[in-house]
Amino acid sequence: MHEFDYLEPASIDEASRMLADLGDDVRVIAGGTALMLGMRQRMLTPTHLVSVAKLERLRGIDFDARQGLRIGALARHADVARSPLVQQHVPVLASMASRVANPQVRNQGTIGGNLCYADPSTDPPGCLMALDAQVVLGSARGERVLSIEAFLVDYYVTALEPDEIVLEIRVPPLAAGTGGVYSRFLRTAAEHRPLASVALVARHEGALCRQARIAVGASTPIPTRLRRAEAFLEGRTVTPEIAAEAAAIVAEDIEPVSDSRGSAGFRRDMVRAVARRTVAELFGLSIDEGVTA
Amino acid sequence: MSTHRIECTVNGEAHSAEVPARRLLSDFLRDDLHLTGTKRGCETGICGACSVLLDGEVVKSCLMLAVQVSGRGITTIEGLAQGDELHPLQKSFMQCGGLQCGYCTPGFIMASCDLLKNNPRPGCDAVRHGLSGNLCRCTGYTQIVESVLHAAKDMNHGN
Repeated sequence: MHEFDYLEPASIDEASRMLADLGDDVRVIAGGTALMLGMRQRMLTPTHLVSVAKLERLRGIDFDARQGLRIGALARHADVARSPLVQQHVPVLASMASRVANPQVRNQGTIGGNLCYADPSTDPPGCLMALDAQVVLGSARGERVLSIEAFLVDYYVTALEPDEIVLEIRVPPLAAGTGGVYSRFLRTAAEHRPLASVALVARHEGALCRQARIAVGASTPIPTRLRRAEAFLEGRTVTPEIAAEAAAIVAEDIEPVSDSRGSAGFRRDMVRAVARRTVAELFGLSIDEGVTA
Repeated sequence: MSTHRIECTVNGEAHSAEVPARRLLSDFLRDDLHLTGTKRGCETGICGACSVLLDGEVVKSCLMLAVQVSGRGITTIEGLAQGDELHPLQKSFMQCGGLQCGYCTPGFIMASCDLLKNNPRPGCDAVRHGLSGNLCRCTGYTQIVESVLHAAKDMNHGN
């Protein structure tokens, strides 16, 4: 790994000024799991790293009945997975976090760091999109709040300005009767980067769907909201046939990437299968009932 | 390149060292402290041979900088035995044949420590999930899983 300076600012202002001054030659380090890989492979060659480890504002997980969850950007995946607040109020988020990568990475990698890479083949972005999450960004110029949709711009591109850092993630409280399921497809059990993922958050009375938010991740350059499939489910009593139909709409409406890990066609097929199982699970249907994937 | 004074505890012993910013934790442990039980395998965060405990939680030391562990406590494979008495996991891996060449073994044992701390009575699936960040290229994992289940039983004895 090439040489660099390691800086440890004590405030968001100081961090922001360092980032602004150093421009393209600087990267922020939180847990460091993604950054170390990028640097070892010489994909990233910063001359300076700015550590956010000393910024207390980026720590902690809190819940407020009106505001919902506040997850500090430095919360590690293991912290999110084990947090009693997350488990109680947004269990689907804890469930997703408990499956990110592997135990070692969950003990080191942070949710804020994960989002900053806008890496499509990871779990958090799609799940957070279905949860209508927001990202709070901070700099010496102040703070601003973006929806996940606005924050994730494109393949590995975010809306972060050069002098900004992610401070926290906000997840609004779920309305009564709301359930969530996050499912994914891994090519092999040992590969930790999903090929397809589907997150569904729905308010429902038994099998009757009142409101739905669906996001597909991992198969598209950035997670994709599936508004036509959401509208299709809303007001319907979900049967295995309806689940299959919704999954077909999901698969039809995405524009999958094609790369060495999977062709667009394969990804579309896997998204359809995962989507059908996700809908079936949320509405308590047997996943193999009635239809074939 | 900046250098940094780090104070940390390794296997219960306090260390103070001057390290360059780019020193990886794995290199610090092996090259500076001569604790070569921690292995460098893939060095790209995949194989888990470099797993150590940081404040009791397993991490991959090839994905972490030494400067990141200032003020913290590290346990490596060398820190598990109590004098001549091996840790129950070390004994189990020997008894159950949970290794062939042995290169991945320290990483597996460190990951198993974290696993059993969080789940003292794991089933087979929980062990496999808990070890999903570690690769072994010799075995079929069966005896590694058996080793961990055996150690769990051993460690719970009398509870």
